[in-house]
Amino acid sequence: MIFFLLLPAIIMFFVSFIKSSRANHLLSFTSFAILIPIIELFLVDKPYPLWENYLVADELNTYVLLVSSVVGIGVTLSLMTLKKHVSISPKSYRKFYRFFATFWIGLIFSILSNNMGIYWIGLELATLSTVYMIKTNFTQSASREAWNYMIVGAIAISLVLFGIILIYASAKPILGEEAMDFNFLLAHAKEIQSSFLFEIGFAITSIGMFIKMGFFPMNLWLSNVERASYYPVAALFSGILESAVIIGFFRFSQIAKEVNYNHLFTFTFIYTLFTLFIVSFLIYRAKDFIRLFSLSGIEHMALISLFWVSGGTFAALLHFGAHAFLKPALFLSTGVLESKGKYKIAGALRGYRGKRGKLFVFLVSLFLLGIISLPPSPMFFSELYGFSAMIEMAKTSNHILAMIMAILFLLILLSIIFYKFVSLYQSMKYEGEERDKEVYSTEVFALILFALSLIVLILPMSINFLKGIA
Amino acid sequence: MIDFFIGLFLATLIIALFTTRLYRLFLWYSINSLMLGLLALAMGMKLEDNGMLITGVITIVIKSIIIPIVLKNLTQKFNLVRQIKPNIKVHYSIMLIPTILVFTYYLADPITHMIGTNANYVAISISSLFLSLLLMMEHKNVAPKIIGFLSMENALFLLGISATEGMPMLVELGIFFDLLMAIVVINLLFQQERTTL
Repeated sequence: MIFFLLLPAIIMFFVSFIKSSRANHLLSFTSFAILIPIIELFLVDKPYPLWENYLVADELNTYVLLVSSVVGIGVTLSLMTLKKHVSISPKSYRKFYRFFATFWIGLIFSILSNNMGIYWIGLELATLSTVYMIKTNFTQSASREAWNYMIVGAIAISLVLFGIILIYASAKPILGEEAMDFNFLLAHAKEIQSSFLFEIGFAITSIGMFIKMGFFPMNLWLSNVERASYYPVAALFSGILESAVIIGFFRFSQIAKEVNYNHLFTFTFIYTLFTLFIVSFLIYRAKDFIRLFSLSGIEHMALISLFWVSGGTFAALLHFGAHAFLKPALFLSTGVLESKGKYKIAGALRGYRGKRGKLFVFLVSLFLLGIISLPPSPMFFSELYGFSAMIEMAKTSNHILAMIMAILFLLILLSIIFYKFVSLYQSMKYEGEERDKEVYSTEVFALILFALSLIVLILPMSINFLKGIA
Repeated sequence: MIDFFIGLFLATLIIALFTTRLYRLFLWYSINSLMLGLLALAMGMKLEDNGMLITGVITIVIKSIIIPIVLKNLTQKFNLVRQIKPNIKVHYSIMLIPTILVFTYYLADPITHMIGTNANYVAISISSLFLSLLLMMEHKNVAPKIIGFLSMENALFLLGISATEGMPMLVELGIFFDLLMAIVVINLLFQQERTTL
């Protein structure tokens, strides 16, 4: 089955060598093929070994794989019209597909991995592929950011490996080589004798993953990279790469929870609170779409981590799914709104004519209002569930008042972000001049795909599935 | 013998921090990797671990021979600047490096108590990690930063073989594969840079 999961990416890799400009049309159809093995994965009994004990499908990673695959399909669709919005040479265009395919393969391995080492290898492969994808943009800033990403990414990924080695060292004396298995380690977490060594390893791994998601204190590199590269890179970062990083955090924190829950919660709580504090003000000062959405991505990943460690597993997974659909949709829309680099926030949503244009405006408005958690956005429900999980968690300790104060503080920070997005939306819709603009069918189709995925996410069937994972 | 190799591993990294010529830096990286490979071989023989012996041989072939040669070719092909002056002055580095070594020794102290075997090696690998970061920080040019990144990978490899007596073979091979992929990407980045110019 693993071959069929990798097949669309493998086809993309080989098609990228064909010089015909129509070859990429094939990819928009083949990318949908990934859904067939994923549906099959949903139907089989889990945990389902895909490759011995190294790749094992369970409820959590099947869900994350589905979400990231939908993003992959959406990005493939929108890539068909990339050259209509940006200047890109045919050679770079083909290489972009080649590295996108490598990136996708790396992340499928990371997401399905039951082995800490393979998880890291997949993540590293994806990181390196992204470096080249950033560089396909022939500008000085893209060149600088590609090297910056290479260095920041290398530091982040090295910290993850450093932490993994310490975690492995802490568990190897009792579990042997199987200490690399996430599931095996989780089952025997309480037997780990060097809990301090494990916790140090977990903290270093988490910091590596947090740097990769743009958390405190490395808040700006992500938005700089996304600003400098072509818009599909930003969509891939927010929809697929961050999915793979966050599933790693979920896996490691599940084990850390068994070792010492209080330490895990305090560490993540302080880290995410700092991140949210800084990011909310950075969002308030952001002056263009990509930086704004990028910083907002950091905010949401911080919330997901916070909900997860607070015991709000359902809230975290719902928030994760909603963010993974909304953010790439917004980044891909940005490609249309900023066509050929000409953009102004004021009036950005004006001038789209015909049914296709009106549908585009409707969908972008929907996504913009959805990302700030206006009902019926799944984020509205996930935040409600998430904050209530935090209160429930505090009830079991003696810190209920502190938790209520922390939630109030968080709500103030979120309201700053809310204000910024509402004023941006109003400026896009009601201010500025009206000029004729164009949007292409495949782009609208990609946005419809994301909108439908969001609707499916709040159907009772999906909610029950997510609660089942919890 | 293991202590001898680990001492040379650290010494080559420290010398690399003071190097002002790019080819010399590649040479020190090559010797650093050679010491790491020999260390893996020595530990593999001591522990009778075939996996570690294979890893040691691959380390010597890839990191000590192939990567420095590829980097040297890239330097010639893309006319990279070979005069690499560190941003941090030598007399500051002379104070900074021992400070890092002593600091990491105390930082790793609680960890080393929990690792029965090769406890001191863990402290050395952590200090190597910090020294590699310093190598990345002290240069403006891209090539020494790449060596910093590769040295960081060496430090982690040392941590892997000293703290855990070797990671599983599959993981080690995957890490080597990623390293080669990194070299491919670096080559492509330089190529793109030339096209832009």
